[in-house]
Amino acid sequence: MIITSLVYLLSALVLITAFYVQGQRYIVSMIRGQFFQSILIASISFLLAWLERSTDLVILGILLIVLRGIIVTILLERRVPDRKHYIFEDNVNVPYLFIIDLIFIVVSVFIIYSLAFSSLVPDYSFLGSSDLLFPLLLFFQGIFLITSRKSTITQVIGYIEEENSLVLFALFLLPIPVIIEASVFLDVLALVIISVIVNKEKPVHEVMEALRG
Amino acid sequence: MALLLLEETITQLLFVILVSPLFAGIMAKFKSRVESRKGQSIFQPYYDIAKYMRKETLIPAGSSGLFLYLPYISFGVYCLIALIIPVLIPAPIYFTASADFLGGAILFTLAGFLKMVAAIDTRNNFSAMGVSRIMSFTFLGEGTLITVFFAVSLITGTNNPYVTSAYLVDHPLSNLTLVHVFATLAFFMIFLYETGKIPLESSGLHELGMIDEGMNYEYSGKLLAINKWSSYMKQYLLGSVLLNVFLIPWGLTSGASFLLDLPVMFGKWLILIAIIVIIETSLSKIRLFKIVDFLAAAFTFSILFLFLTELIP
Repeated sequence: MIITSLVYLLSALVLITAFYVQGQRYIVSMIRGQFFQSILIASISFLLAWLERSTDLVILGILLIVLRGIIVTILLERRVPDRKHYIFEDNVNVPYLFIIDLIFIVVSVFIIYSLAFSSLVPDYSFLGSSDLLFPLLLFFQGIFLITSRKSTITQVIGYIEEENSLVLFALFLLPIPVIIEASVFLDVLALVIISVIVNKEKPVHEVMEALRG
Repeated sequence: MALLLLEETITQLLFVILVSPLFAGIMAKFKSRVESRKGQSIFQPYYDIAKYMRKETLIPAGSSGLFLYLPYISFGVYCLIALIIPVLIPAPIYFTASADFLGGAILFTLAGFLKMVAAIDTRNNFSAMGVSRIMSFTFLGEGTLITVFFAVSLITGTNNPYVTSAYLVDHPLSNLTLVHVFATLAFFMIFLYETGKIPLESSGLHELGMIDEGMNYEYSGKLLAINKWSSYMKQYLLGSVLLNVFLIPWGLTSGASFLLDLPVMFGKWLILIAIIVIIETSLSKIRLFKIVDFLAAAFTFSILFLFLTELIP
């Protein structure tokens, strides 16, 4: 009972870190928000490992901390220019973003949940069907972060949030396929390395640029 | 039985009206002690009210009867709220049946609206500025207030605050549910905003930061005393809802020993005052246009966790 409550509480904190990143203007703070989010997901993994007596989940938690928490954070922070604590994005209107984000995630999760998940999930899920809400909410927040911002680093963080949501999703579904997990991690690592190179050339991506000839 | 009920009703009403300025005084005293100042007496709000009562009332040229009478009406609305929510006695008293939680929220809004109308009626630029500031923030504040009450009603299956309070006393674990924790957090954020505490508003007549004070700008004499008193009562009422329904629902009794509630409520308020003083003395005031960010965060919390209430057991 207490473990279940703790898992819910940590999952809620994960959502709150996502909102923190969404409402944040300073790039370095966003990267650290992502770091904190990964650590929270790792703690959920350790909790479930303790509950299930599963070594797979311990490995997953360690992978999360090392790859997502430390390496990705260091790589991204290195890309922020020298006066990094002062680098921020313009035009971040917090109330507007929060409310649109809220409407977006609630409506999309509600639609997906009522159409697809409600009939599929209950048998395989860990805490009951409702815990899968958290990964879905996080997933749509990642998407919204990518669409609502222009700087490349923020968009990469949005992508990492999406991948975090996949990890969280796999954590709540038993049994977890560790091979797939590992490939997800390496995928993100490769993406971050590539994006670091891209970001060196071009720190801001405007909406319409991709369509120019 | 009827006599006891009448005693409880009168005690609760008089307690709210008479003691609410004391808590404001204690809060100011604590704060000044923490800031290494000697500070005012804890009875200073009473002295202020008495002084204003003796002073002459000036009425701005061009204002109508609204300016004169609305302070009394909003004072009356706060007195009514004092009877319908569990601010001292944890069992229903006379007039409790006249409204539920949402009714209480709507009465708070009504009193605020009356104050705004009266402030606009003065045709003073500063008052109008205060009102426009309040209007641009309150749309999120009121939304949160109502959503928080929805969340509490969903947890307990009723929107009668007395039943909610009793349910939370009987089921201690439901105080730790995710929804309750976040509803409490959101309500606390709204409490800080509504009572003008420091991260959001430094009270005083500095026009840079003033929100609520702007509405008292043209008032003087007896009307100012009534307005000040109403805001002390508002602070007491909101704080007591926060304490009795959200934070610490335990400790109150009704029936023959209901007078024991007075020291218990006093102790609970000292805890709340300590929390507020820590926040007020350790945070700096945020910029005026950031207040809406703060309220948007509170609103997001309350809506998100209202949504989760339905799905998480």
